[in-house]
Amino acid sequence: MKGKRKGAGRLLMALVFLFLYAPILLLIVFSFNSGNSSVVWRGFSLDWYVKLFQDRLIMESVYTTLLVSILATIISTVAGTFAAIGLFGLKRRWRSPLMTVSNIPTVNADIVTGVSMCLLFAAIFQSWGVFARWFNGVQSVVELPTRLTLGFTTLLLSHIAFDIPYVILNVSPKLRQMDKNLIDAAQDLGCTWFQAFWKVILPEIKPGVVSGALIAFTMSVDDFVISYFTAGSATSTLAMTIYGMTKKRVSPEINAVSTLLFVTVLVLLILSNVLEARQEKLARRREDALKSGAEHRPAPRPRPAPPAVTRKAWFRRAVALVSAGALCVVIAALAAATNAQPVVNVCSWGEYIDEELITQFEEETGIRVNYQTAESNETLYSLLKSGGGDYDVIVPSDYMISQLIEEDMLAPLDYSKIPNFALIDDQFKNLPYDPDNLYTVPYAWGTLGIIYNASMVDEDITSWSAMFDDKYAGQVMLINNSRDALGIALMYLGYSVNTTDEQELQEAYDLLRDASDRGVYQGKVMDEVFQVMEGGNAAIATYYAGDYLTMLENNEDLRFVIPEEGSNWFVDAMCLLKGARHPEEAHAWINFMASTDACLANLDYIWYGTANREAIEAYPAYYEELYGEELDQETFDIIQTPPEVLERCEMYLVLPKETRDLYKRLWISLGV
Amino acid sequence: MRNKSSRFAIPYVVWMALFVVAPILLMVVYAFTSAEGGFTLESFASMGLYLDVFTRSFKLALIATAICLLIGYPMAYLMAREGRRFQRLAMALIMLPMWMNFLLRTYAWMSILENNGLLNQLFRAVGLLRLLGVDHLELIRTQGAVVLGMVYNYLPFMILPIYSVIVKLDASLLEAARDLGASSLGVFRKVIFPLSLPGVLSGVTMVFVPSVSTFAISRLLGGGKQMMLGDLIEQQFLGGAYDPNLGAAIALVMMVIVVVCMAVMTHFGEGEEQAVVL
Repeated sequence: MKGKRKGAGRLLMALVFLFLYAPILLLIVFSFNSGNSSVVWRGFSLDWYVKLFQDRLIMESVYTTLLVSILATIISTVAGTFAAIGLFGLKRRWRSPLMTVSNIPTVNADIVTGVSMCLLFAAIFQSWGVFARWFNGVQSVVELPTRLTLGFTTLLLSHIAFDIPYVILNVSPKLRQMDKNLIDAAQDLGCTWFQAFWKVILPEIKPGVVSGALIAFTMSVDDFVISYFTAGSATSTLAMTIYGMTKKRVSPEINAVSTLLFVTVLVLLILSNVLEARQEKLARRREDALKSGAEHRPAPRPRPAPPAVTRKAWFRRAVALVSAGALCVVIAALAAATNAQPVVNVCSWGEYIDEELITQFEEETGIRVNYQTAESNETLYSLLKSGGGDYDVIVPSDYMISQLIEEDMLAPLDYSKIPNFALIDDQFKNLPYDPDNLYTVPYAWGTLGIIYNASMVDEDITSWSAMFDDKYAGQVMLINNSRDALGIALMYLGYSVNTTDEQELQEAYDLLRDASDRGVYQGKVMDEVFQVMEGGNAAIATYYAGDYLTMLENNEDLRFVIPEEGSNWFVDAMCLLKGARHPEEAHAWINFMASTDACLANLDYIWYGTANREAIEAYPAYYEELYGEELDQETFDIIQTPPEVLERCEMYLVLPKETRDLYKRLWISLGV
Repeated sequence: MRNKSSRFAIPYVVWMALFVVAPILLMVVYAFTSAEGGFTLESFASMGLYLDVFTRSFKLALIATAICLLIGYPMAYLMAREGRRFQRLAMALIMLPMWMNFLLRTYAWMSILENNGLLNQLFRAVGLLRLLGVDHLELIRTQGAVVLGMVYNYLPFMILPIYSVIVKLDASLLEAARDLGASSLGVFRKVIFPLSLPGVLSGVTMVFVPSVSTFAISRLLGGGKQMMLGDLIEQQFLGGAYDPNLGAAIALVMMVIVVVCMAVMTHFGEGEEQAVVL
């Protein structure tokens, strides 16, 4: 009976462990897959590991994660221990309220801590900006930077802030257990306070300090939310990088990272377990020896203990030395990496560059490109406003450029440093978003349309109505940004995408809301759309022409159409942010990306139209030479939308503030 | 010693004022002001629009917490009754996934739950899908997927505190109860369970708070369709609808509700100190 019950218990435990480990094991298995699917096995390979070690973004974020966790652990352990001693020395009347305040970060939801820290830093940066402008105005000896952004420092500060309470929580009980007279006794015997601390307090509270440090480290390594709100764009922890990657096409490199992490942690755990077990065994043996020694006569032993002790002490000292050395190397490497090279920070969109161009630029100029991506114009704007966008060059779309100019967030370009601007077709100069062409150099242009899977849909889709049709319930992906999503509804209703009429916008919202309530939409996606459509996980989506051609390479069933009601055409242009830290390098980058060679290579990779006249003329020949076959007209028309189709398309214009607020309200309500 | 060591409290008090109190005060200020800077209650007035998000978040988080408790308690109890070596191994096995990043754990489920994912392929191969007459089961981008993600991520936070309380229970106490004639169910109900309550409370807190405020899980497994409080707040700060005033107001309301819930719970738990220490 009892055995049976025990068996049932074991079975339950086994099931829980299966639940915990099955997904992780799958991750590990597919990290060795040779295809890039995480569903279909295509044979064994180590490709993803090779790719992983070449992926600068991931390697840098692993490094940032480790560095910030180690530094935060060390600092918060030391600070937290002293803070605990300090709090312990206070009268109860003071101690309890202070402890309550100290515990706030452990009780609060991470997002509240993260958001409030983000607000604090934004406020500090703002006051600093005011001060720096005033200071630069009254004297001209030192030039203070006026625009500070979130980065490694703010990340580290936040980690320390949420780690310290855990250290205090672990140290305090040990202090309470300690005999208070011990310290007085030590000081009476002539110790200074610090000696008393070192020789008396610390040995007593050591277990608390160690477990505090361990928990602080665990919290730092595992954290995502607080880092997300306080690290800004240029610094990225592993968790942030993974989050960014899951919003795009997921690469099995993530599986490889998981595997490596898993194995590292596993080895560490086994090591610590073995050590612990051995120590316990030793302790038990010693106890037994003592017991038997008490029973029998003390056996004369030829001094076996001292060498063991010294060896252990040596070992401990060596470990401390090695870890201190490692830390120094890490910090030195960081300092070297951050200072040595000129850098340009670029923010663009996902799958929007041939990455070989980055390497080429770096080799030609010696300028390091810190290439980041944002999800949509609206998220880019939020990031800039929150003080998180430490960028030099950004590539927003037309209407967002107008808004940024309006809010004085862009710096005028020095076109004498961008000779390649002359190659831009006149059609793409002085467009409404930048009428005098002072701020922008076009990067690429394209159209919005419907992408559908012909094997899942039994008709040729020609109208936006497919986005609201019950027939495709649960098969449609809505685009995840307010301007495009409401734009689709406006176009279907026959209104202008630039309408400011509240009634019309409300109608568009109602249309989307109704379709959403009827379960037409499976979800809302931006760059996740690649994965979803290529994998045949949805039948219909709205996205951009160039990206359709990329998807087509991986799934031949996909089709693209610019609906008969018309659509949106857009230009994404490179701009320089006001207060950018590397204006020289930024101009070099912009000029490089506007060159004919770069535009050709990029066009062939991202399949978006280019504004460079030479490049678009040369492309068919370039294609033929590269692939040995003629570029068919259909593909070319998707890259370079023909004038008669373009006539049906409207460009987004910047909307007045009230309409923007309305968009925001409607958009959030749609998510609710 | 007391007076001398208390000076170490001063820098920490300054630190707390700057990095704990100031951010929260700033959040309150933002919540009660408009973008132009004047005092306003508009952010709170518009909160009614998001009632659905509040109820959805609390509902899903409660379900996830309940499931964690239902799985976690027996698990912790069974673990505590095993031998020392087994316990150490089991502890390590439960801690291990926590050291991998939380996003990796969530990502692991994405490819499993997709419409053409591993589970659906498995069902297809077994013939279950044909039996049900559907092309695929809707697993990802549903509320169920979000709850699953929460349970998977936060289950260890439930098991560990309960386990650490049960394992420290005095064996002689249980023996005494048995000697006094209690059945094993009685021992559990009258002795073990009441004594393990502090662990349960801290477990519930450690699961509920991150669940109710998550945005990554709902984004990755809920497909942006199951908007939760975390998503709503994230949208206002780094997402597609920049409005820190509204974001701060929502965060503030959520914080107050959570604190009140916790206060009520600890009140019922007779004010036991929480076992935050793992």
